[in-house]
Amino acid sequence: MNSRIGTHVLSLLSLAALWEIAGRAMNSTLIPPLSQIGAAWWKLLMSGKLLANLSMSLTTLAIGFSLAVLFGIVVGLLMGRFRAVEHFLDLYVNALMSAPTTAFVPVLILWFGLGVESRIAVVFLFAVFVIIINTMTGVKQVDTVLVEMARSFGAREREVFFKIILPAALPAIMAGLRLGIGRAVKGMVTAEMLLTLTGIGAMIMQYGSSFATDSLFAVILTILVIALLTMRAVQWLDRRLTGWKAEIAIE
Amino acid sequence: MRRSPANESPVQNVREPFDSSHVLNGLNVLNGLNESHPLVEIRGVSKSFHKTVKDSTTEIKALADISLTIRKNEFISIIGPSGCGKTTLLKIIDGLIPYDSGKILIDGKQITAPGPDRAVVFQSFALLPWRTVLANVEFSLELRQTSKEERTKTARDYLKRVGLADFENHYPHELSGGMQQRAGLARALAVNPSILLMDEPFGAVDAQTRQLLQEELLELWQRERKTVIFITHSMDEAVYLSDRVVVMTPRPGRVAEILDVPLPRPRVSEEVRRDATFVDLTNYIWGSLKKAMENHH
Repeated sequence: MNSRIGTHVLSLLSLAALWEIAGRAMNSTLIPPLSQIGAAWWKLLMSGKLLANLSMSLTTLAIGFSLAVLFGIVVGLLMGRFRAVEHFLDLYVNALMSAPTTAFVPVLILWFGLGVESRIAVVFLFAVFVIIINTMTGVKQVDTVLVEMARSFGAREREVFFKIILPAALPAIMAGLRLGIGRAVKGMVTAEMLLTLTGIGAMIMQYGSSFATDSLFAVILTILVIALLTMRAVQWLDRRLTGWKAEIAIE
Repeated sequence: MRRSPANESPVQNVREPFDSSHVLNGLNVLNGLNESHPLVEIRGVSKSFHKTVKDSTTEIKALADISLTIRKNEFISIIGPSGCGKTTLLKIIDGLIPYDSGKILIDGKQITAPGPDRAVVFQSFALLPWRTVLANVEFSLELRQTSKEERTKTARDYLKRVGLADFENHYPHELSGGMQQRAGLARALAVNPSILLMDEPFGAVDAQTRQLLQEELLELWQRERKTVIFITHSMDEAVYLSDRVVVMTPRPGRVAEILDVPLPRPRVSEEVRRDATFVDLTNYIWGSLKKAMENHH
């Protein structure tokens, strides 16, 4: 673990150095040196513009992703548990899972208008299907011997569900959340760029079209950091909840 | 230990089809097992499965007209080639799956579902990987509305009896197969069932561990006084452990023969396995199984 963090730091430092040298050598607005990007980032932070836009974006992300988690897990559990529900819904889930979600943006504008509701809907649609499919797969893959064991000791349906199926499917559900949060961040930025220009999506469009490349890179790097941090948060939760699984995998 | 009449006249006894009344008397005297009270009565039980492949449904007869009476505190083994339906029979006795015809009575009452008088030890252990050993043993008690303190106390007690006292906070994957099955046994014993149903419980562990577990099981059985129905495909395991051995035929599973094991108890593994009765009986069962399998093909 420690050597991994060391390698990460080394990797980041070499990339930063390379970027700085390349930026200074080329002396072009297209690739500003990292120090200049850092300065632009500091300016955006101090002016309050970055935080204001960021909080708007993250609110959308939090609401959209929470709804996707809630809805995705419930639907996934039902589909995994009841064959009829699965057959009733799997056509749509599979189609929507692989369809480019961006294509639905115009429809969402018609339905929800140009406000925050539309952006939340985009985040939701980006994240929900992968959560549904992972949850369903997790439920279907539960070892039938464990279910039989529980029944043999007198477990009722409720107990089978809460004491066997749910914990056994948890690793797959968490994998769904991990994939889902990545997609949710994509949905967040996509919505802000394609719908009304708001949040950090708006900043990207604005600085991109005005050739303010240092500020543009500052915003992009901020998004990368957010993507990484949200992913880490889900991974942390995963490890807290399903530590037993990680240990088996290592062996 | 070596004073039993059964030990002195092994060969003739075994070669002939068994005169069960004769051996049974000897057995009861030896075991002090005077309760010949029937606990489990299986009367003409049959079971078929329906298998659908590409729109055509075929009926597979798993069990045909099984009749068997099991006495209280008896250790009985059911042996047969794979696919003879012995696991199906065990699940039916447990009440996990329904049967087509016949009757199964336990203590005179017909069974329809799993009940607190029975507990299963599974071949693949069936431990919950996200629970510690202690929590796994507590699982069977949780379903029976025991209080938390009582559960922990009982679970610890049984873990001690199977020699896992120091491993209660380990997860199943941290234990060897033999230790995992000890936990499975503790979980079954913890609910204090009168009938222990064991489905090839030592089939997934190595040979040395297997022998060790057999000895431990006999010791436990002697102390706990339970009725054990033990599924196996190992002939020496069946003979070493049991009072009686039921030999089954391949599909559809029928009772081919029921053999008494006239070996005195307590049985010391090393001695018993050299005993002429043991050797002859094991060979006899092999012959019986072979015959059943040849008739099948």
